[in-house]
Amino acid sequence: MAAYAIELKNINKSFGSVAANKNINLSVRQGEILALLGENGSGKTTLMNMLSGIYKPDSGQIFVNGQEVSINSPEDAKKLGIGMVHQHFKLVDIFSAADNIWLGKERDGSSAKAKLSEVFLQKERFSEIEKTAEQFGFQIDARKLVKNMSVSEKQTLEIIKVLYYGAKTIILDEPTAVLTVQEIEKLFHILREMKAQGHSIIIISHKLNEVMEISDRVAILRKGEYIDTVNTAETNTLELTELMMGKKADLNIRRTKVEKKQPLLEIRDLTIKNDEGAVAIDHVNFYVRGGEMLGVAGIAGCGQKELCEAMAGLRKIESGMIIHEGESIVGLSPQKILEKGVAMSFIPEDRLGMGLAPSLSITDNMILKKYNQNHWNPFVDRKSARKEAQEVIDELEVVTPSTEIPVRRLSGGNVQKILLGREIKSNPNVLITAYPVRGLDINSSYTIYNILDDLKQKGVGVLFVGEDLDVLMSLCDKIMVLCHGKVMGVVHASKTSKEELGLMMTGAVNLSVVNGKVAGIAKDSAIKEEDVQ
Amino acid sequence: MSKQREPLVRVVKRDRIHPLLKVAFYLLAILFALTVGGVLLFAIGVNPLVLYKDMFTIGMLGSRFAYKSVEGLLTIFVPLLITSLALSLSFKMRFWNIGGEGQFIIGALAAATVALKFGNSMPPFPLLVLMFLASMLCAGLYGGVVALLNVRFRTNETLLTLMLNYIALYLLRFFGETQAPWNFYLSDESVRPVFQKFPEAAFMPTISIGKFSLNISFIFAVLICVGAYFYLKKTKQGYEISVVGDSANTARYAGMHVPKIIVRTMFLSAALIGLAGGFYVSGAKVLSTSVTNNVGWTGIIVAWLAKLNTFAIFGVALLISIMQYGAQAASTQFPIIDSNFADLLQGIILFFVLAADFFIRFKLVFRKNAKKQGGAAE
Repeated sequence: MAAYAIELKNINKSFGSVAANKNINLSVRQGEILALLGENGSGKTTLMNMLSGIYKPDSGQIFVNGQEVSINSPEDAKKLGIGMVHQHFKLVDIFSAADNIWLGKERDGSSAKAKLSEVFLQKERFSEIEKTAEQFGFQIDARKLVKNMSVSEKQTLEIIKVLYYGAKTIILDEPTAVLTVQEIEKLFHILREMKAQGHSIIIISHKLNEVMEISDRVAILRKGEYIDTVNTAETNTLELTELMMGKKADLNIRRTKVEKKQPLLEIRDLTIKNDEGAVAIDHVNFYVRGGEMLGVAGIAGCGQKELCEAMAGLRKIESGMIIHEGESIVGLSPQKILEKGVAMSFIPEDRLGMGLAPSLSITDNMILKKYNQNHWNPFVDRKSARKEAQEVIDELEVVTPSTEIPVRRLSGGNVQKILLGREIKSNPNVLITAYPVRGLDINSSYTIYNILDDLKQKGVGVLFVGEDLDVLMSLCDKIMVLCHGKVMGVVHASKTSKEELGLMMTGAVNLSVVNGKVAGIAKDSAIKEEDVQ
Repeated sequence: MSKQREPLVRVVKRDRIHPLLKVAFYLLAILFALTVGGVLLFAIGVNPLVLYKDMFTIGMLGSRFAYKSVEGLLTIFVPLLITSLALSLSFKMRFWNIGGEGQFIIGALAAATVALKFGNSMPPFPLLVLMFLASMLCAGLYGGVVALLNVRFRTNETLLTLMLNYIALYLLRFFGETQAPWNFYLSDESVRPVFQKFPEAAFMPTISIGKFSLNISFIFAVLICVGAYFYLKKTKQGYEISVVGDSANTARYAGMHVPKIIVRTMFLSAALIGLAGGFYVSGAKVLSTSVTNNVGWTGIIVAWLAKLNTFAIFGVALLISIMQYGAQAASTQFPIIDSNFADLLQGIILFFVLAADFFIRFKLVFRKNAKKQGGAAE
C-alpha cells in the first residue's frame, strides 16, 4: 500500500480573475488525521471540492494511493473512496435518514431481488442502514426525517453516508462550526474511532485549539497558497497562528474596564414561549448596564433565540417586563424599539437565514431596518446608505469589489461583518448580539471582539450570546448562564471558572439565589417593587 | 486503477459577461428562432423573407394607410405593456399572480358598466375618470382578495388567481349571451345578443397628428412604465417588495409588516391590469368576450423574458405586439398564415432565449482549451 492516501501536486484553480488555489502541494498519510488550517477565503474548501469532484483543477496532479487520477464528478470521487461532509449539508429534508443514504447507493447485482429494489423501495433498507451504522459505532434512527434532526444528527448522518459508500478518505469541512461543546467532543470521539479503523481524515478548520486536539499533522494555507505542513506534536497555537496569518499575533482578547452606569436594559420575571408553544424562557431576571458586557452562556437551543427575538420586539412575551431606560418596551414594534436604541443581530446556524436579504446589495441591506425612519418621505435614501455601506466596509475590512454586490456573493465572514456593522451603525445604546463570530476565522473574530469592546467604552450596554466559554470569560464583564430557559446564575467573568460555568449550563449547579438575593436584579433598578405583579 | 479520461466538454459558470455580448446572445437567439420559423414557412410554401418583411414592418410598406397599422399595433401594445408591468410587481415579490386574464376582464366590465349606466348623463372627462377608477378598484379587489386569503389562511395564490380567471370569463359571457330586460350590456336593436356600443362620452380621447390619431392610453402606458421603474427602484414600497421577494423572514426581522405589503402590492398589480382593461374597452368602444386577447397569459411571458426589468418589459412587449399585429397584417397577402403563426414564432423565440440564458450564465470549456487555460494561469 502506498504511504499516502492522497497526494496533490501543483494544483491551481482560478475563478474568473481570482486565483483561489496557487500551486498547492498536499499529502495525506494512510490512517492519519490531517487538519487543513487557514483563514476565511484562504482556499481550503476550494481545494477539497477538487478532491471530491465538485470542481476540476485548472492544472496539477492528484494521486490516490499512489495512482494518478482525474476526478471529474462526485461519482468518481466516490469510486476512489473519497467522501466529503460539506459545511452546508447535502441532505433532502423531507426524506428519512435511510432514504438519504439510499439515494446515492451504487446499484449492483443482477438478482431479481436487486432489480426489484431498484424499482420499489424495500422495507429492509432501514434495517440495513442501521446495521451499517452500528458497524461503524453509530446509533441512528433510520426512519427519522432529516427536517426533524438537530444539526449534530444531520452531521452524523452525513458521516454515515460517506462511510456507507465505502469512503476510505473522509473530508470534513468546518464540522465544528455549528456544534456545541458537547457535540464537538462526540464528533472527535467518532473521528478517532474512524482513524483507528484505518480511515484517513482531512478536517478543515480555523479553530486552533481543536486542531491541536484532534490532528496528527497540520497543513496551512494562506491566501490560496500552500505554506507548510507541520506535525501537531511539535508545534503550538502561537506558531500555527503565525503560519496562518503570516504575522505575529496577539491572542489576548481586550477587555476594557469601564465605569459602572445605570442599568439600561432590565428584564424582570420574563417568560416566553417558543414556536411549538413550549416555555423557552422561564421567569428570567437580568439587567445590562451602560458600559457593561453581559455574556450569555448556555447549551444551544435553551432559549437564547427566543430571548433575543423578544427583546427586539419580534416575539410576543407571555409575562414579565422588558424595561429600557426605565420605560417598558413590551408590545412596541421592532422599528420603535430600534429607534429607542436597542439593536439586535442574531447569526443563525445557517448564517444567512435572518437579518439579511441575500440577493440585495450591501447598500440595500444597510437600510433594511431603518429605511422607513422618515415616514413622510416615500423614497429610499440610498445615497447615505451607500456611504454607510462604504464606512462599514472600510472599518470592518470587508472584502468586496463594491457596495452594490449582492450579499450572497460574499464569503461567510464578510456577510457577518456586514450584519454586525449595520447594527453598530444604528448607534445603539443597547446591542444584543448572538453568535457574532460563528464560523469566523481568528483575524475576523478579533476584529469583532474589539468592535464590541469599543462600543462598551462608548457606554453601550452589550449583551453577548456566545458559545465559546473561553471567549465569554475573557471578553465579558459578567456571564449569565441559562439552562432550559432558566437563569442558573450571573457570575463575574474574572471570578468564575470553565468548570463552574459548565456545571451551571447542565443545571448541576444553581446560583440563581445566593444568600437570599435573586441573581439578575440590580440594586439601583428603575423598576419599583410595587410595579412587579 | 487506470487514469480516468477527462470529459470532452465541461460546463463552467461565467464570472461576468460583457453587456454587449449579452445583447449579442439574445439577438442571436432571435435570429435562430426566425431561421427555424423560416424553415417551417418554407415547408408550407411561403417565402419567409417576404413574410418577415411584412410582419416586422407590420404591413406599413407600400400601404397608403400606414398610420392605421401603427394605430392597430398600439391597441395590442398598450394593454400588453401595462399588464406585463403590473405582473412584474407581484412576481418581484414572488407572488404568483396568474390571474391577469380575470383582472383584465373585471376591469373592462367595470368600465363598461359605468360607461353604459352614466354615459348619457355625464360629460366625458368625469365619466372617463369614473370609469377608470371603477376598473382599478374592482380589479384591485378581485386580485387583492387573493392576497388577503393568502396572508390570512395561507391559501395558494396560483390556484386562486387561476380559478378566478374562469369566473370572470364566464361572468362576461353570461352578460354577453343572456338576453333579458335587466341586461343593459346588450344592444336593444339587435335580435341576436350583441354587446351595446358605448355612448360617445366614454370613448378614449385621441390626439390627431395629421391623419394619425394617437390614443392617449399610449401616453398613460408610457407614464406607467416610467412610474413603475421609479416605484420599484426608488420608493420604500418598491424596496419592501424586493425584500419580501428575497426573504420574507428577513423582512419580518426588519420589522416590515409583510401581510400588508403582500396585499398592497397585489392590489396594485391587479388594479393596473384592471386599468389596462378599462383603457382597452374605452378605446374599442364596445365590450367583447375576447376582450383580453390573452394579455394575462402573454404578459407572464413578457415579464419573465424581460427578467422583470421594467424597461426590458417595454422592449419585449413591443416585439411581441409587432409579431402579433404583423402576422395579422401579413395574413392579407398569405392566406395560409394567420395570427396563430405569431404565437408559434413567439414560442420558438422563447425557447431560444432560454437557451441563450444558459450560454450567458455558463460557458463550455473543451478539453484542449482546459489545458491551455491551466498553462496560462501558471
